[in-house]
Amino acid sequence: MKNLEQEYRLEMRGITKSFGLISVLQGVDLKVKPGEIHALLGENGAGKSTLIKILSGVHEKDQGHVFLDGKEIQPKNTHEGQLLGINVVYQELSLVNDLSVAENIYLHTLGANKFWMNWKKITQQAAELIDTLGFSIDVTSKVRDLSIVQKQVVEIAKALAEDTKVLILDEPTTVFDPNDIKKLFTNLMRLKKEGVSIIYISHHLDEIFEIADTITVLRDGVDTGSVAVADTNTDAVIHLMIGRALKDLYPSRAIKIGDVPVLEVKNLAGKRGVVKDVSLSVRAGEVLGIAGLGGSGRTETGKLIFGADKKKSGTIILNGKEIHTKSPVDAVAYQIGFVSEDRKEEGVFLPLSIRRNISVTNFDAISSKLGFINIENEYKNILGLINKLNIKTPHSEVDVKNLSGGNQQKVALAKWLSIDSKVIIIDEPTRGVDVGAKIEIYNLINEVAKKGVAVIVISSDMPEIMGISDRILVMHEGTIYGELPKEQFSEENILRYAIGKALKSTNPNPLKN
Amino acid sequence: MALSLKKQLSSSGGFLKFLVKYNTVFIFVLLLIFSALISDVFFTTVNLSNLLKQVSGIGIISIGMLIVILTGGIDLSVGSLVALLAVTFALLINLVILPVAIVLTIIIGFSLGSVSGYLVAYQKMAPFVATLALMTVARGLAFIYSKGSPITFNTTGGLFMSDFANNATLGIPNIAIIFFIIVIITMVMLRYNVFGRLVIAIGSNEEASRLSGIKVNKYKFLVYAISGALAAIAAIVVASRTNLGSPNMGMAWELDAIAAVVIGGASLNGGRGTAINTLMGVLILGLIGNILNLLNVPSYPQQVVKGGIIIFAVLLQRFENK
Repeated sequence: MKNLEQEYRLEMRGITKSFGLISVLQGVDLKVKPGEIHALLGENGAGKSTLIKILSGVHEKDQGHVFLDGKEIQPKNTHEGQLLGINVVYQELSLVNDLSVAENIYLHTLGANKFWMNWKKITQQAAELIDTLGFSIDVTSKVRDLSIVQKQVVEIAKALAEDTKVLILDEPTTVFDPNDIKKLFTNLMRLKKEGVSIIYISHHLDEIFEIADTITVLRDGVDTGSVAVADTNTDAVIHLMIGRALKDLYPSRAIKIGDVPVLEVKNLAGKRGVVKDVSLSVRAGEVLGIAGLGGSGRTETGKLIFGADKKKSGTIILNGKEIHTKSPVDAVAYQIGFVSEDRKEEGVFLPLSIRRNISVTNFDAISSKLGFINIENEYKNILGLINKLNIKTPHSEVDVKNLSGGNQQKVALAKWLSIDSKVIIIDEPTRGVDVGAKIEIYNLINEVAKKGVAVIVISSDMPEIMGISDRILVMHEGTIYGELPKEQFSEENILRYAIGKALKSTNPNPLKN
Repeated sequence: MALSLKKQLSSSGGFLKFLVKYNTVFIFVLLLIFSALISDVFFTTVNLSNLLKQVSGIGIISIGMLIVILTGGIDLSVGSLVALLAVTFALLINLVILPVAIVLTIIIGFSLGSVSGYLVAYQKMAPFVATLALMTVARGLAFIYSKGSPITFNTTGGLFMSDFANNATLGIPNIAIIFFIIVIITMVMLRYNVFGRLVIAIGSNEEASRLSGIKVNKYKFLVYAISGALAAIAAIVVASRTNLGSPNMGMAWELDAIAAVVIGGASLNGGRGTAINTLMGVLILGLIGNILNLLNVPSYPQQVVKGGIIIFAVLLQRFENK
């Protein structure tokens, strides 16, 4: 299996690519050995995704050469890439919602070789595949009915259904809990032993240092070199990524928190049944974290408060007065903002310009009674926000789809900052966002709180939620299982509450149960 | 490796880039030149004013169609609504004074459009299905109320309308002026009014709109109602031109309207399209019909050419959008 003359399984040399006038990659090299886990790092917009898409056949390169086992390859589409043994698990899930799990896993073979499909065999193979991955999913169920974690597992299984020489994982763990990540890593180690070359893209440096052998860092379309994991450390890697040292990821929280709650929620329950009984309160200037495993109801709690999901029962009190948020229209009228975890589908308008995106919540301030917009005021407002949030763009008319994830997230936030929200609920503030933009978003949250806004941050990223919150509520099966004051912040404490256990020593009585 | 056409376009800049960006204008001008070269009659006042009169009715409903398509919907009922509302207008004009007849017809059009709007926005019915149903109902009602035959205007109000519809101001046919005014109002609404902004926002991402606190249902309801009102104006215009309201009017006009909007570069997924480009789409379709008539091409080959132009226009737009 190993070609002795060929040290590298995959060699990409001098890859150059530009879209229109924008140069994305400039002479990038990437070399991966058989049985190597190679981390590809870099901020959003550094060119990682483009490099991967050239490798897998989505994009054509402008210049450069790609060699697989010493032979030059030029896949023209993803199917050709798959035939060569290059399989990608994309960050954006690429599953067909209305097909079953098994059908999705073997989608690439449908119609490729044979006219008739042996469903029994396919179903069985798919079940075995999921089983070896260590997860349990009914392979006959429709992908639509799966949780996002399960979808990600199916996505990975799909890539492994083929004979894979090079497996590329683009941010595979964003939706995973620590337990799932452990399972994924076991699988990657197994594949590594089988000689598969793995390219692993992630923003989570702790994951990289746990699993990768080698690191290649991209910055602004240029590779800043490859290093063995053993020879480097987190600080050095971050320095390579953002071109400067990272002093402090999380801002210091020296904010005076108000005495009375701005927002109080009592015994909130949702019609869908995910949220069973949630009570919480947030004060002015406070950043309240909501943690919990996937499916615990953390996102749904945010959506219920915002009126985006239907409530069954419960009271919401804003500044001492009971309010009814039957729909987001009501919530926005009460100056409550909500940033969705699903940026592309629910957060921003990808085909519209930055200006049109941000203005969408703010027409009352910039338009006349008849709805005519004062364009001058609009520009003033938008340019001010672009400046304040440091959204990296040449001008306000750039379509949001052309921005990096971090800048898109800032646009989603800007919407709520332009209308002086009293309460802002942010679900996964930095999912798929690079380190540099993360820091900026954390600072922004801090600044917003400083102005007296009550901020609720929902996050599955434990270092993040501990880094920016003043207090953390941990959800378990639709209820607030426990509350952690700053002194008790630790991954272990969050996890214990999240799985419905009491803390080890100090606090034997969690809020519920 | 060969550079893609898109890349060549963007790097060569200038003229080619301009062509791709304003491809509807480009096709329109090309057709104008072609028509002028091929026929002596084309650039006569009579022909041009006829052309404008012919397209105005479809033009007005195309603007309604554009607004609906911008939200990601479709309105198949407009052709039948024109028939029903033309019959309604003819009945009304013989009963009540002219201004009342006009206002009532527009109100009825708005209400009929509201039916689709209600079904789509509040009952979550697929726009295609809801408006298909209304299309059938409206055509049926048009035949019932007219008893199957055209209703002629027989009052002074009718006479006035027919005079108005067949005359011109400053050389431009009056009904074309109405069409152009509607285009200009729509242009302004889409660019400078909150209504237009929200319609486009809803079409480009409905869920993000909802989560931004936009009254999505209200606007989805409104666009169909407006489309119905515009169908009423179109009905008044075409009925006045011929001095009668007939249940056979507006046959398959919804398809021409969709074609005009699509030639104008709008996306059927919503969120993209402009009034001026829809105007171009309407004029292009009208021009093709006009020049083929001047060349004595029978109507079936005309349809083939029209279809070809639609494909050509949309293919050109692909370069722009990639």
